[in-house]
Amino acid sequence: MLFIAVITMTDGDYDYLIKLLALGDSGVGKTTFLYRYTDNKFNPKFITTVGIDFREKRVVYTASSPNGTTAGKTFKVHLQLWDTAGQERFRSLTTAFFRDAMGFLLMFDLTSQQSFLNVRNWMSQLQANAYCENPDIVLVGNKADLADQREVQEKQAKELADKYGIPYFETSAATGAEVDKAVITLLDLVMKRMEQCVDKPPAEPANGNGATKLDDALPSEKKCAC
Amino acid sequence: MPQAADMINLGFLSEAEQELILEVLRRDEELRQNEEHRVRKLKTELLEVKRKGAKRGSGRYSQRSCGRCLEPLSRLTIFNSQCKMCNHYVCRNCKTILPQGSWLCSVCAKETDIKKLTGDWFFDQRINRFSTMPGHDLVRVSLKKKPLTNKRETTGEILLRSTEIPPDPPVPRARQKNLPNNKKGPSSENSGSIASRESFESKEDVMSKPTRSDTESAENASIISVKTGTESGHVTPEQPRKGDRSALSSPAGSSVSSVTVPVKADIESIDSGNPDANITACVKPVNPSPDIDVERLFKKSIKRDPRPTEYVSTLDLRDEPDTSEGSMGNRSKSVPGLDIQLEDGEEDEDIDSLVSLHRRTMASSSSSLRGSKSTLGSLMSIYSEAGDFDSVEVSGDVIFSMSYDEHTQSLQVFIKECHGLACGDTSRQLSNPYVKCYLLPDKSRQSKRKTSIKRNTVNPVYKETLKYSISRSQLFTRSMLISVWHHGRLSRNAFLGEVEIPLDCRDLDTAYEDAVALMPKAASALPASAFAQYKGELVISLKYITPKNPATEKIKGKKGASEEGGELHVLVKEAKNLMAMKSGGTSDSFVKGYLFPTKAKTTKRKTPVVKKNLNPHYDHTFVYKDLALEQLNGMCLELTVWDREAMVSNEFLGGIRLSSGKGTVKMGKGEVEMDSVGEEVSLWEKMMKYPDSWAEGTLPLRSTMEKPKGK
Repeated sequence: MLFIAVITMTDGDYDYLIKLLALGDSGVGKTTFLYRYTDNKFNPKFITTVGIDFREKRVVYTASSPNGTTAGKTFKVHLQLWDTAGQERFRSLTTAFFRDAMGFLLMFDLTSQQSFLNVRNWMSQLQANAYCENPDIVLVGNKADLADQREVQEKQAKELADKYGIPYFETSAATGAEVDKAVITLLDLVMKRMEQCVDKPPAEPANGNGATKLDDALPSEKKCAC
Repeated sequence: MPQAADMINLGFLSEAEQELILEVLRRDEELRQNEEHRVRKLKTELLEVKRKGAKRGSGRYSQRSCGRCLEPLSRLTIFNSQCKMCNHYVCRNCKTILPQGSWLCSVCAKETDIKKLTGDWFFDQRINRFSTMPGHDLVRVSLKKKPLTNKRETTGEILLRSTEIPPDPPVPRARQKNLPNNKKGPSSENSGSIASRESFESKEDVMSKPTRSDTESAENASIISVKTGTESGHVTPEQPRKGDRSALSSPAGSSVSSVTVPVKADIESIDSGNPDANITACVKPVNPSPDIDVERLFKKSIKRDPRPTEYVSTLDLRDEPDTSEGSMGNRSKSVPGLDIQLEDGEEDEDIDSLVSLHRRTMASSSSSLRGSKSTLGSLMSIYSEAGDFDSVEVSGDVIFSMSYDEHTQSLQVFIKECHGLACGDTSRQLSNPYVKCYLLPDKSRQSKRKTSIKRNTVNPVYKETLKYSISRSQLFTRSMLISVWHHGRLSRNAFLGEVEIPLDCRDLDTAYEDAVALMPKAASALPASAFAQYKGELVISLKYITPKNPATEKIKGKKGASEEGGELHVLVKEAKNLMAMKSGGTSDSFVKGYLFPTKAKTTKRKTPVVKKNLNPHYDHTFVYKDLALEQLNGMCLELTVWDREAMVSNEFLGGIRLSSGKGTVKMGKGEVEMDSVGEEVSLWEKMMKYPDSWAEGTLPLRSTMEKPKGK
């Protein structure tokens, strides 16, 4: 349902500009993850990100229609994917960019218990600096291909994600597994949030939210405050 | 290139790192400007829809008429025809069915849509959280006019601005190679080459920065090349793209810029020669087959219009007398033969006269303008269809260059020369040409720059630089109108041709020379409607207060009291998104009101001036006394917004005209047609229909008080 295209980025011929941001400890693979997503390539070299960077990608988003069967309207979405430095010394800079993002890829390294433990910290950073207190987040455990070095079990991570009420994916930038899915899920959440935000007539929330199927992930917290 | 060092937040970084980050921020700016452009277009669309429909608001409409088109509703349709957002009852035609099967009225649907498309849903929510934005103070000085942009302001923007604002100190940049944090390989290897980089143009350095993510530089290059190539932007999208970089950056518009083309060629070769680039050069779509469809999808709706409709040139004060200006004497000249309201000898007399000038230029014959030759000439040259003016066959071209100077934050237009101009004075076969520029859409005096006049030549050489102090980001929505005029010493000035250069797709980093053929005035210099140009909005509330005694009459509305003693209260609340008229991107505005038919100047009311604000809150009430409700039907309330300018004439910022929309009213010796449309009518009627309650509306400002039809 989601097709991907690499198209010139300069024209204004898109319907939505959606800004996502990847965060997490240094070395968990944020840059390679995004590189895999935008260019479908893998760069095994570790090059530390200086402060911030971003990549772009155009995708076609198909809104799920109320009954979930027929294809809904399609939109051209220009994704701006912010990449942040995980290193502590850039922290003040990177957190300043949190407020401009509409959704977040919170990443950790499946082969590093420490990076997983730090998810909690990143989470509170997000709550403090994002555009609202409960932004759309997807938890991403990267480097799933390195099975033999794995330190974080899926169950653990899943539990944490459930606690926060956010989706969880185990991805591999090296193989590309689940990378697209993680981003698209986040995009979907953001688009749903957008619908909720503008669809604010008080009554009939059930009716109005007919389109959301991912909402069950976050039942009550997701109420838009606007 | 601005010095990044020792600015906020980035101070702890090494110079090389700062450069890298700045580079990212610049790319972001590019994206943002694209977005801004897109958003502006969308908002213009919304305005168009809003203007057609009645105002949403308190929802106090008769349930018997559609809240949008005001068509009567049948009793049956009233059931289940209330828009759940604005609570108006609307007819079938004014419903928009949403994908979920529910519906909204056309205006609410469009508003909702725009909120999503522009990302305002996000910014609106964010603003709740960061009402006191960190770092806000630091950049307030340079904050741009609209809160719109403030609301949408991103960290990247703030950072970039804060690093680019200070003019470069002349000291050469220190190479801080030995900073402790340079121990990380990439940055230290690199700092030298980056530091030595002079400008965006030396792409080698960009390409060789190892810390940059791999495709970034390629993207960058393509962004740049596209940018320079889009002088003919309408054409480029048609090109096959297919994710093929080389096709991309072969510029369709290359002929425009002889200087930049070789640069682009360099990019190509570097691109393929760079070790990094073999990753980048072959960026392939992930799913080749659907990709084609996707591209088609992306492309089919490409209507690349570098200038959105809002910048359509319009009748304005564009051509005030070209000779001698800047003095008080100017006023009388720009207001020839004005006898309507000269009696109010206040400081803003010219305002009134300008309004009426607007009117007259269109509505009346040139006879009333005979008073001033130069004015007549200018006006006639725009509207050459108007009669006895022997229009000049436009020929020749103008050679100029434009560049943006970061040091002085100004746009520099270098007018070099013209070739083969037409003869402005056909009888004597000579021309005394000069060049005049406007930075559109601003057609006010502030935007006018002129060269000297060259005598008796059709190949004048000027070599003059015209400067505009303006922040670079504002330029994006502007275009440069360069016109050539014959200065008729005793006769009229004659129009010799013009070119309009949109700045959104021009490379202003390099001052390359352009030779552009002069064009005649666009046949339709007038906008399709007075609203085609977005001038902002005015928020007002109207209330008719019935005289004490006949309380029962209220319900009957229009047929109500005819007693003397009723009052019309006009609460001028605020204006939004006004045009910036003053340097620094602000305006000192006030609102003036007239209730026509006027009894001399007794109906004139003014709000205080709100300084340096494009979204001024006036919160000022005009009270008109001794009015019967039914009188209002034949009356017309005109509210105009002005930029207060001491010593010279105030600038017109926009206006609205409230009335029932039918007939004419007398104004002085002239007549005003009550050409109110859309909300202007509906708000007025609402006020009459519901006396003693406020009718509030947000009305789009007209860019001219004249009817565009004219003669």
